[in-house]
Amino acid sequence: MTAPRRTTALIGDDNTVVVAGKSLTWRTLHKLPQLPSPAAVLVDNGADALAALRHHAVHGTELLVATSSRVDNRMREELGESGFAIVLPTGEVTPAKLKRVEESGRAWLLTSGSTGRPKRIGHTLESLTTVTGDQPPRTWLLPYSPGTYAWWQVVTLSLTHADQGVVAIEPDELEDWPSIAATHGVTAASGTPTFWRQAIYRDADALAAVPLEQITLGGEPVDQAILDQLREIFPKARISWIYASSEVGASIVVHDGKAGFPREWLDRKPDPDRPILSTDGDELVIRSPHHGAGLVGAVHTGDRVEYAGDRVLITGRLDTDEINVGGSKVSAGVVRNVLMGHPGVSWARVFARRAPLVGRMVAAEVVRNPTLGPLTHNDLVQWCSSRLPDYGVPRRITFLDEIPQKETLKSDV
Amino acid sequence: MGEVMTAQGKNLPGDDTADLREIGFRSLDFSELALRVEDELEAELNFDAPGLRRIATVGDVLDFIEQLQSA
Repeated sequence: MTAPRRTTALIGDDNTVVVAGKSLTWRTLHKLPQLPSPAAVLVDNGADALAALRHHAVHGTELLVATSSRVDNRMREELGESGFAIVLPTGEVTPAKLKRVEESGRAWLLTSGSTGRPKRIGHTLESLTTVTGDQPPRTWLLPYSPGTYAWWQVVTLSLTHADQGVVAIEPDELEDWPSIAATHGVTAASGTPTFWRQAIYRDADALAAVPLEQITLGGEPVDQAILDQLREIFPKARISWIYASSEVGASIVVHDGKAGFPREWLDRKPDPDRPILSTDGDELVIRSPHHGAGLVGAVHTGDRVEYAGDRVLITGRLDTDEINVGGSKVSAGVVRNVLMGHPGVSWARVFARRAPLVGRMVAAEVVRNPTLGPLTHNDLVQWCSSRLPDYGVPRRITFLDEIPQKETLKSDV
Repeated sequence: MGEVMTAQGKNLPGDDTADLREIGFRSLDFSELALRVEDELEAELNFDAPGLRRIATVGDVLDFIEQLQSA
């Protein structure tokens, strides 16, 4: 018996694609004229990004697609020197400074840049298509910024599987996405925890009107509070969280509604189709079949893990998650989870502040849940005091008026 | 300083010579006070400016904070 062969045939070419309110299909999307290869296609709307992706899928061109705001002048120079023609949102093309042979079928992604300048990671349509097998018919929301790993995940699913429509959400539609999703019958949506928190915070009733059967979270640490809130609104939906990155692909998928993943998943027996998870000290290490080009072998993710009973929680970036308060170490992610566990908190960010005597202190920014009563600084300090050691209690808490969100749908938590 | 103590369920005595250990004013409380001053002034303070010295009484804390603000 042979293993099933993964296919990147464009089985979904007739799937519905909704852009700017227009219902089209992949096949009937507008065509981009004379797209060079290799090309870095910089877009200012989702429709052009989808058109560039289909062109790449049909013609096997070498492509990097990203929003123009993510690619600064220095990076444009670097891309030109690496052989990419730069295609601007206006259609204007700056020829590559280096002439080279294209890498046929190569898709380039930019990392989110959470650890510095975005890096270029090489993939193919095949390595980006991590969902295989028959899928129940679904209409997917596409809120992600074009060119990010999460964006590629949704669009490759739609392009390579039958009955997987997509509804693209432009940046200026993000605040109102539930009504757009309800109009177009979106049944599946993937977003960061910040994205979901904002939707609940803005209008939980509008969110509840979306007929969601599949809810996916990823891109940031996923805490139990947001999973529970979504479960309450969507008692029948499958709620999953995914650990994925441009470097290692989609490596952890959890469907049981709990934060973290089962501890028994660490150091499981090797399986060619399944990533191997392990830890090195506090750091999550992944050996993944979905990795980017040149990233064979164990990849140190830079993400910090912490054990909670039989679960392994991913608490945040290793270099920013650990706060050393006078020699006692506390995880910003753990403190954030405690804050997010308060029913009056819609969103929280925990960080270190420089302080005398102890070097660093834990501080936080919080957005209150508007549907509940008043919440004071002291209420939260007391809530944390009964759940955290002294040095982990945020002593300075600033209240923000709204949940901050970046283009990547993350909020730097 | 009183607000920091109150938040911890303690009272600040009126006597500047009161011993910090006896009234339960700890390093974390002292650090919180410095951050409150920063927030009040909306400016980052140079915590190294006053130099190393013994901070044992309520008066020592108040002197330190005063020096921070003028540094």
